[in-house]
Amino acid sequence: MYAVELEDIWKTFPSGTQANRGITLRVQAGEVHGLLGENGAGKTTLMNILYGLLSKDRGRVVIKGEEVELQSPQDAIVRGVGMVHQHFRLIPSLTVTENVVLGLEPVRDVLRRAGRKSPGPVASLMPLDLTAAARRIREIAVENGLAVDPDARVADISVGMQQRVEIMKALYRQADILILDEPTSVLTPQEVDELFVTLEHFREQGRTIILITHKLREPMALCDRISVLRDGELVGTVDREETSPEELARMMVGRTVSFKVQKAPARPGDVALVVEDLHVQDNRGVEAVRGASISVRRGEVVGIAGVEGNGQTELVEAVAGLRRVESGRILVDGVDVTDWSARDIREAGVCHIPEDRQRRGLVLGFSVMENLILGSEYRAPFATGPGHAFLDLSAIHDFAVTLVQDYDIRAGSVRDAAATLSGGNQQKVVVARELAGRPRVVLAAQPTRGLDVGATEYIHRVLVDMRDSGAAVLLVSAELDEIMNLSDRIAVMFDGRIVALRDPEETSAEELGLLMAGHSVQEVST
Amino acid sequence: MSVDSTVDDDRSEHVTADMQDRAPSESEKGPVLLLRNIVGLMVESVRRVTEPEVQRAVGWAVGAVVLAVLTGATLMSMAGYNAGLAYIALVYGAATQVDRVLFYATPLVLTGLSVALAFKCGLFNIGAEGQLYVGSIAATVLGYMFALPIIVHPLACLLFAMLVGGLWALVPGVLKAYRGAHEVVTTMMLSYVAILLTQWMVSRNGPFFEPGQVQPSPQTPLILPSAYLPKLGSPFLHAGLLIAVGAVIVVDYVINGTVLGYEMRAVGLNREAAEYAGINAKKNMAIALTLSGVLAGLAGGTEILGYHHRFRDGWSGGLGWDGITVAVLGNNNPWGVLFGALFFGALKAGGTSMQRVAGVPIEMVSVIEGLIVLFVAAPKLVDWLARSGVQYAVWFREQRPQALPHLMTTTVSLVLGAVGLVIAFTSSTGTIMAFLFMTGAFLALVAFFRLVTLQSDGITLALFASIEWLLGAGTAAATGLVSMAATTSATGLFLLVVALLSLRLERTGVLSSGNGGVP
Repeated sequence: MYAVELEDIWKTFPSGTQANRGITLRVQAGEVHGLLGENGAGKTTLMNILYGLLSKDRGRVVIKGEEVELQSPQDAIVRGVGMVHQHFRLIPSLTVTENVVLGLEPVRDVLRRAGRKSPGPVASLMPLDLTAAARRIREIAVENGLAVDPDARVADISVGMQQRVEIMKALYRQADILILDEPTSVLTPQEVDELFVTLEHFREQGRTIILITHKLREPMALCDRISVLRDGELVGTVDREETSPEELARMMVGRTVSFKVQKAPARPGDVALVVEDLHVQDNRGVEAVRGASISVRRGEVVGIAGVEGNGQTELVEAVAGLRRVESGRILVDGVDVTDWSARDIREAGVCHIPEDRQRRGLVLGFSVMENLILGSEYRAPFATGPGHAFLDLSAIHDFAVTLVQDYDIRAGSVRDAAATLSGGNQQKVVVARELAGRPRVVLAAQPTRGLDVGATEYIHRVLVDMRDSGAAVLLVSAELDEIMNLSDRIAVMFDGRIVALRDPEETSAEELGLLMAGHSVQEVST
Repeated sequence: MSVDSTVDDDRSEHVTADMQDRAPSESEKGPVLLLRNIVGLMVESVRRVTEPEVQRAVGWAVGAVVLAVLTGATLMSMAGYNAGLAYIALVYGAATQVDRVLFYATPLVLTGLSVALAFKCGLFNIGAEGQLYVGSIAATVLGYMFALPIIVHPLACLLFAMLVGGLWALVPGVLKAYRGAHEVVTTMMLSYVAILLTQWMVSRNGPFFEPGQVQPSPQTPLILPSAYLPKLGSPFLHAGLLIAVGAVIVVDYVINGTVLGYEMRAVGLNREAAEYAGINAKKNMAIALTLSGVLAGLAGGTEILGYHHRFRDGWSGGLGWDGITVAVLGNNNPWGVLFGALFFGALKAGGTSMQRVAGVPIEMVSVIEGLIVLFVAAPKLVDWLARSGVQYAVWFREQRPQALPHLMTTTVSLVLGAVGLVIAFTSSTGTIMAFLFMTGAFLALVAFFRLVTLQSDGITLALFASIEWLLGAGTAAATGLVSMAATTSATGLFLLVVALLSLRLERTGVLSSGNGGVP
């Protein structure tokens, strides 16, 4: 008995991208099915078709033995399909209960007693019955081991809890086929473990789960069967027992992949970046960095490990000149650059790969070419003429073509809008631009977030190359594996301070995890 | 995708080699580079016409104009005018008075550019009207108070107009950039300040009031002839047109070919990313709004020096506001603005003929302008109509000839809907006949929308519409309107027959109404 059968699904977007090319996927009832593939392989498109968000060009969708033509998510929801999107669709200022009932607002029993199933136009005028909904949410939470506080405001709860609210939304609508799109990409390691426990619980209850992911570890830990997509086609479906991470990676990328970053021992030189007793506020005016000190030498990678929201973002932004420094000093090559403008700090040889490429790294409406000179447009050779006021368009074009080749950026043309590129290629544009100026200090914040295996591997190589050519690299990442693989020294940041420095050879993920969670150094070492 | 350490060296060689290549080109100073870039940009603009994105923008603009013209026709018919005659007069008037078209278009090009330039930096300059007023009074004052040699005099006046217009916009620019005051509010409020301030300046108590008038009106003295812009072989057309066309080229170049334009666009598209890359967003926003004011001031100056030759209170009549419409229609592209301004110029020039020949008030032109903005701003509607139309066409090709009655029902519903509204509004209101035709028309229109999206209830609606229509024909016959009764009953019967036929075809399953037909 299959819970979901997708047969020969084809989908071409108006832009001409063939996202799904004849994919046939069968998911058994009660299994956890992994849908693995690189970014742009067509995983999310396929699931959006199943959820009724996108229409298919061709093919059949069968849910629980019934062939369906889904016009909207509503059609999927009534058939028991629920989806948790990668980017949550919650309203921060509302409570958990209000978010969960959104679209199904419960009204006092008056109308239901009158025998009306769906609330008509009159229902919108009736008083809401949120207490009953909250009660129902508590029941579901207990049944499923899903710790959710129905009365909390979404703005106040952690990312992990927000995800549970999204799952709760699906359960509240009585979903027994649950699609999770990249559920772990926003979670801390501990939260990932909690999620996996929850999903195990669901499996025991006989729910069907489809887990979309590009990380190899997850399906291997959780899934019964794994389907791998590549370039819009199904490469194959395998049982977990009969496969290995290496095989999955090969299916996913189409070639053998090495997980370990190959790098020579570091040859650290002079100190290039010094941060001394830095205090910085976050956007709400709360002190986020509270006396952090760190130094990075030429030719080494220093990784900052930490649970997100412990001041890493503010630290990097302060060094990049994007945030006012309350007190403390920042030195680049011995020059005090505290509170310099972002442009002056760039001129001093600091480059910054920001953590959110679409919001902060790229101007999506700009072409690839224009994005590649963002931040150096005022400089020769791009700016010429009197006062460097005019752009030399042919120089910009030539420069962009060179970088696109060197960094293997897959774009139809350098004139294509950056928005049309896949996530990995967008990140390559940012990295190419930032590193092209031969910086002395590289600030890399979450440089591989949301990237697939191939692009991650590539960016790791480029960062190591930068280190070997004598740059000081400060890496911030929420991925412990990345920190441990790339860093020559690991600094753990907790509550706005650097609480420990570790040698990656002599520490363990467990120790770092405890330090990141705020256990003191003494507690950890004893 | 294998990366070895040599890649890095390769790259550095590439970059440095590139820089060395470019080093001599830096010596090809100003004019050569400028010319090469301008040519390059023009080639690029022409190339971009082939891009689907640009074609879609043009398609929206054209679609919006068509929809606005159709809606305008319905409105005119409802008000009892001859829409066909009106449009013929409008087109004829515009085609035979090209000089007037260009004359009306001139200031609109400049105010349209003003709005478009600010928008490139993500700012809405709603106050172009006010900047135009302060610019024009500045040009007038310099024009009548100071005697300067020819050529120098108009140039000085225009520069002064630009300066004052720019300063007027600098205030909201600085407030926006450094204090976060929303530019829509500040530019609009300053616009009213400007209009009322200039009104006072030229009033009886104001400093620039023309003395010795027999019937005092709020205006300044005439400017000196040395400040006039030369005419271009027509009483209307003046050198301001050349300035406007030049401004299109300059603005296009500033936006696409200069560091300033690049930074302004970056800020407009994604302020955060621009700031992360070290661009000073605040400075760019202040500059963008100032330049926007400069263009609006220039618009005021050229109009005064080229045509009006004095500042009269309220002379502009909304050129600045129309600039917003022109910029919207031109999709904030300088060349699009040029075409948008020409189109609006044609509307204005033809509007007078329309008024003369068909008796349609000139305000109808404003209604059409407003409708255009409405439809441009609602691309989804245009999109939806286009998409449903295409889907319908595809469906029809698969189904024919069985779908022929369906197509006829659809078309007749649309026609009867429009005609029914006209009858309802033109016949004496409050009568049973008017009521029947009104409801019949609405039913027919709803039926059309359902039919075109292949919803099966459309056929039923069309049936009811035809019955309503026949009832209307009956009342027409009862009131003695024989010819009307004959035509309406004939068309009503026709709709009834084709609707019944399509209903039968659908019921028997011969006709499958595609996806949308599933009830």
